[in-house]
Amino acid sequence: MTLLSRALSVSVPTSLVLLVCGFGVESAHQPAIQVIVTAAPVYLPLAAVRGGERFPKGAQLMLVRDHLTTPLIEGFTATADANVSFDGKKCLLSVKEIASDKWSVWEFNLDDRSVRKVISGDTDVIRPLYLPGDRLVYSRYTTHGFQMETAKLDGSGALPLTYMSASALPETVLADGRILFQAGFPLGTDLDHGAVPELFLVYSDGSGVESYRCDHGTPRWGGVQLASGDVVFTHGSKLARFTSPLATEAPIAAPRAEYAGAVVEAESDRWLMSARSGNDLHYSLKWWKPGMPLMENIISRDGEDLVQPVLLAPRSRPNHHPTALHKWDYANVLALDARQSRDGAMKGTPVTVRLEELDTNGNALTLGAAPVESDGSFFVKVPGDRPIRFTLLDEKGAAIRKEHGWFWMRNGEQRYCVGCHAGPEHAPENRVPAVLLRTTTPADLTGSGQSAVPGGQ
Amino acid sequence: MSRFFANRLSATIPPALCGVLLVLLAAWNTNAGVRAATHNPRSGEHLTYASPVEMLFHPNQPRLYVLCQGSDEVRVLNAATYEEIRRIPVGHMPRGFSLSHDAGRIFVANSWDDTVSVIDTHLLKVVATWQVRGEPSSAIEDREGKHLFVANRVSNDIAVLDAQTGVEEKRLAAGRGASYMTPSPDHNRLYVTHVYPNPTREPTTNGNRNAPQSEITVIDATRAVVAERIPLANIAHGFHVAFSRDGRLGVAAQLHPKNLVPLAHLEHAGAFADTLTLFGADVGKPVEIPLDELERYAARPFGVAIAPDKSSLYVSSGGSEIVTVMNVPRMLAFAHTHSGPNVQNLAASARYVTTRIPVGRDPRGLTFTLDGSKLLVANRLDDTISVIDVHTKRVIKTVLLNSPAQISVLRHGEQTFYTARYSFQGQIGCANCHIDSTFDGLTWDLEPDGFGRDIVDNRLLEDIRGTEPYKWNGGNPNLPTECGARTEMYFWRSETYDDLTLTDLVVYVRSLPLRPNRWRQPDSLLTAIQERGKALFSRPTDKFGKPISEANRCNYCHSGAKGTSQKSFDVGTGKATDNSGVLDTPQLANIALTAPYLHDGSARTLEEIWTVFNSEDKHGRTNDLTKDELNDLIEYLRTR
Repeated sequence: MTLLSRALSVSVPTSLVLLVCGFGVESAHQPAIQVIVTAAPVYLPLAAVRGGERFPKGAQLMLVRDHLTTPLIEGFTATADANVSFDGKKCLLSVKEIASDKWSVWEFNLDDRSVRKVISGDTDVIRPLYLPGDRLVYSRYTTHGFQMETAKLDGSGALPLTYMSASALPETVLADGRILFQAGFPLGTDLDHGAVPELFLVYSDGSGVESYRCDHGTPRWGGVQLASGDVVFTHGSKLARFTSPLATEAPIAAPRAEYAGAVVEAESDRWLMSARSGNDLHYSLKWWKPGMPLMENIISRDGEDLVQPVLLAPRSRPNHHPTALHKWDYANVLALDARQSRDGAMKGTPVTVRLEELDTNGNALTLGAAPVESDGSFFVKVPGDRPIRFTLLDEKGAAIRKEHGWFWMRNGEQRYCVGCHAGPEHAPENRVPAVLLRTTTPADLTGSGQSAVPGGQ
Repeated sequence: MSRFFANRLSATIPPALCGVLLVLLAAWNTNAGVRAATHNPRSGEHLTYASPVEMLFHPNQPRLYVLCQGSDEVRVLNAATYEEIRRIPVGHMPRGFSLSHDAGRIFVANSWDDTVSVIDTHLLKVVATWQVRGEPSSAIEDREGKHLFVANRVSNDIAVLDAQTGVEEKRLAAGRGASYMTPSPDHNRLYVTHVYPNPTREPTTNGNRNAPQSEITVIDATRAVVAERIPLANIAHGFHVAFSRDGRLGVAAQLHPKNLVPLAHLEHAGAFADTLTLFGADVGKPVEIPLDELERYAARPFGVAIAPDKSSLYVSSGGSEIVTVMNVPRMLAFAHTHSGPNVQNLAASARYVTTRIPVGRDPRGLTFTLDGSKLLVANRLDDTISVIDVHTKRVIKTVLLNSPAQISVLRHGEQTFYTARYSFQGQIGCANCHIDSTFDGLTWDLEPDGFGRDIVDNRLLEDIRGTEPYKWNGGNPNLPTECGARTEMYFWRSETYDDLTLTDLVVYVRSLPLRPNRWRQPDSLLTAIQERGKALFSRPTDKFGKPISEANRCNYCHSGAKGTSQKSFDVGTGKATDNSGVLDTPQLANIALTAPYLHDGSARTLEEIWTVFNSEDKHGRTNDLTKDELNDLIEYLRTR
């Protein structure tokens, strides 16, 4: 009841909010949609991936309908990060109850307008997204920046997803069940230390972390998946997409503007976006039909950015990922051919692979080394839930290839990689890796000194 | 009814009783589904569906002939309106058909009753039925009407018949699982593809873990001899071939498995590549090119058609339920500049794939209208024909084949079996490894048992009711466990079926019949050799008069009608990479077809089970037998 009383309703019943309406005279032809946006005096889209505050002067979720904005929910000092449930009846959001509070995650019931706290803590918890199976994913601020977690929608069963000393923020949940997230590239590196914002993927159990594409270099964030399966993201002044046929991003000929992040595919041929162009001081909400030279302004607010637009409507539920993690306190990784890499030909032949982990003080510790077979394969047991990286060494022990960043494997994870940074377009060749002909017991690089036990569940 | 309940149910109840309950469960679900789902009615009845697989237009008559595998008939439609004119009953499980050189007859290969039906295209009825043993799967006449060539899936050969009388003159050795045959445009050559990989010829030095090999067997139709064998490295399963009208470009649709790599995950084409082999004068040396993309697959390519003007190439994919369209000039340009291994590059298809057209369920054969303006797609599992406008590359019409409106439990289970939609990014379905609901002749390295450990041979699905438990280690007590949570976690790697769909899938798999055994005599009596083998199978003493313990006789473990005691034993065939030497006793049904053998596929032949892997006589007492006596035993086993 307390929560209910704090949730002041909007001026019309929610049932009416869900009814069809347009966007006023100049947009009378626009489709009948309802949109939730975050209104903020200042929006710093990349602040969180630096571990900072995206809304330093506060934020308020607004409902856009009839060309007007009204508060979605009142009684809180700040609200942001709306994410509508798959049935369109609820909404996750980030909330500050009072100014001195940290951000926490709440759920707003759009039918009865009740709210409830889902996830909170001593530090900021932001960017909630619904997951299948009555779970959510979000980021919690830690001593290593924002780290992603999942939990049940009742707040229990929290499970860390990211294990590195740099921030990660969920962007969207893809139809195949993987979580698209924003972090610095090289992974595990802070933006303030030379990293570039990049988009990565991870399963909802924290396994299978990898780059979406490997044409790194240009800052990429704000990813969202279209009905076609393409992922559209922003470069700030440009939009681009990842599309299934291509291993590199494809440009989108969108009007020159500064984009605030993810676009919304309101119709198959029209996108809703938050952008500012020309002399605009603030981001406003705009329509754009791909291929058209101009965007059409929908709504703007004096002195405020309108960002993070989301449709208030039911949407397709992504696939649930059935975790297949073993009950191990380590992980196994098989490299099919470590020589293969997008970084080009290797100067020398790898003979040994060395594993390092990043300790809690930020120091790289060598855990051990294992042989690399003549076909480039190696099979090693590594510590799970820790930032790790490999270095390939030649017969003299000289490093001939080294991972730029850090990645992790979950405890109980067992997977292979085609090569060392081979790129997502690179499929495995059908052959038995030489290391498995020699042994099916992975070389123990956990630092525990114990040998690995083959087999699993 | 939840999967949880189904699993718990089966885990606590003896397998036989569980099977009964499973059927009741299916019936219960079926009734519930009928009551609840008025927009998608399901029926537990055994309904007959047409299941179209191939089509052909008559060059002189305004008729479209549709080969209907499910209803054992050829349906004759008006070529313009697609209205049904006639249904012509043929033999059981027809798989391929073609017109005679003068278009006066149609030859239908009836795969499960070993016959070829000859249809008179004027009378629209069967005028002759010819016996052709070995599971005839396609039949094509030469250009002069002298010979009829019949590809046989089980006997792995091409029967050469007198095209007028049906008298068999000789057989030509093909590859394993010879099934689909396509003539060159001038009909001088026939190109035969194979649904199973050829047996490896290399000695067993590596546990028989070699990359699969197949071939395109090229027949000189004039001389009725094998003219050439085009090797297909890394290909396990070949399907249709198509030629450009000028004969300079041939294209074969095929599956390229990744069975030697641990099946740890599906992303980046971890389980299969769906590919084409291009061959002919336009290409030079054959080139394999992929159809898949980084996050989308063209699962189980089957039908192929090249536009008359050679501008586009069309490929149906049964698992993905699409037709992929490729730009032929761009595809050839790619092939000319990329002769090397292209299959590892998932971005390659962007060079030549232009469109992916959604069609019906399990699309199979493709054919152009006579004017080349439309492409027809036979959708086997929803009894429709998609009509694609080749200019717009869109489906402009879906022809319904007058089939039951209701979807029976078996039909829904079969649809589930053949689609790839449930796996991660739609890469694979059950039918990827169980070709036409059988097996694949491959061994796989499944992740949960450890990388490189517990290599498993894929087993035949036919007639598996009553052979529980499943898996070589006997770890899965029933099919709901085998096909449900386990498959979701370790194969599909994605959220899969609802409980109702799982039940239907299980009912379908349990219902798969055993195909006719071609090693038995028609009267089911055993030959003298087979009788001798049968005696060896159950003999109580060896050749030296020493008693063979009951547990070491073949018929102790391989007992009962299906040749399995449904118990696990250590017969000394375990390898160092196995987690346990105790193995489930496999059923013997149609064992002649399913090489390789043993749990890990290490025995290339039945003979090697004893000559290579039974040195201590733990897998039955056999070291006292001569080669001829082992052959007797094998001849008997082939009749099982």
